[in-house]
Amino acid sequence: MEKRFGIPAADFEDTLLFKHQQSWWLLKKSPFIPLPGGLKVSMVGMKAFQKVGAFIKPTTRLIQVFGRRATKSRRKLTEKELQALVREGEFNLPQSEVEDGYVILSLEDQVLGLGLQIHGKLKSQIPRKDLHFYKPD
Amino acid sequence: MERIFECYADIIPAFETFQECLHVPLPQHLRVNTLKTETASLLRALERRGVFLNKAIDSNDALFAAPEGTSPGKWLEYALGHIHPQALTSCLASIILAPGPGSYVLDMCASPGGKTSHLAQLMGGGGLIVANELHGRRYKALAHTLVRLGVMNAILTSYAAQEFPFKGRFDFVMADVPCSGEGTFRHGQDHSWQGARRGSGRLCATQKRIILRGFDLLREGGQMLYATCTYNPEENESVVNHLLKERDAEMITIESPLPFSPGLPGWNEETYAKDIQKAARFYPHLVDSVGFFMARIGRRG
Repeated sequence: MEKRFGIPAADFEDTLLFKHQQSWWLLKKSPFIPLPGGLKVSMVGMKAFQKVGAFIKPTTRLIQVFGRRATKSRRKLTEKELQALVREGEFNLPQSEVEDGYVILSLEDQVLGLGLQIHGKLKSQIPRKDLHFYKPD
Repeated sequence: MERIFECYADIIPAFETFQECLHVPLPQHLRVNTLKTETASLLRALERRGVFLNKAIDSNDALFAAPEGTSPGKWLEYALGHIHPQALTSCLASIILAPGPGSYVLDMCASPGGKTSHLAQLMGGGGLIVANELHGRRYKALAHTLVRLGVMNAILTSYAAQEFPFKGRFDFVMADVPCSGEGTFRHGQDHSWQGARRGSGRLCATQKRIILRGFDLLREGGQMLYATCTYNPEENESVVNHLLKERDAEMITIESPLPFSPGLPGWNEETYAKDIQKAARFYPHLVDSVGFFMARIGRRG
């Protein structure tokens, strides 16, 4: 997160990371952890990362919480670009100064989630059902 | 005019106004989720789209009334987890329980997660919440709400609330129990009122088991909030009275920014402990929201 987005590692100092199968979950540190034995837990905190092929990809929800603190690999979308993402799921990028890879997408000062910039295109990684809440003026 | 809840004519104040209120659609309130955004930033984003919110309670910066005819659950800000549509009285439950930032909290019947996420917000994202929900579909709704709202200080369990295991004691317990849901009723609206369940012996028996278990899970000096969204005294004062008979529990005075009536001294043939008057009955015509009952209970020590 620090290397790609410039989100300081210190921002995660008060959290614990749990791995379950191909996913990682983030939980705030607390003196009550570990829980007394015998309590059957079915979910811990917020899903933060998942393994996609050889890559570890941050989740939309993680980016929505921590994305505001990013100093690089950010892209502010215009209304028109967001409409294209809602309609097509991607659009052609003009020349970009950002290296190919994941980028944090925002509209004005609202962080929307993650996009994948690759081969001159920006592809939305935000769940489609979430993007459908966007209603252009 | 069609009338309902006549059996409560003697206990609900301004009963005619109450009846009229049931013919008016329930207003839509929402809570700004400060775990993911700031109120000022959210208001700016909405105002850019021509949506203007009014504060629901003057002294609270996170609770707002949505403009009439709008559906906040269909806004982009909902998907982003910046807002959560929630009844004003439902929000009061977490405010009244008021857990501190480092608290250890149990939410016994947590779905759909409005109160759990509000507790997380009031705790500043710190401490730890054990959010419990037994039923599969309701569990999914709870998980979805907590993930959407970016709650990172909660773990989920799936026990029957009345059988939640004794594995440590909590500073605070929220017991927003299954109930007949009378307080949500409005004529002509889809609602979850389960009139058939009203006064059902089985429901009341479950509520009594839950309140006892919740109390037993409190540490000494801890506090519990027992809440329902129903008017029925058998699901409210009778249940709390049962706890006061069975355990050394104390009723704690409720302070609320919204008006309420005190707990009833008795109902039908039953007379309740005097302190039950410290409970709060929120009526829809007095608070412009869902009817609720709340009792704040302390464990001595």
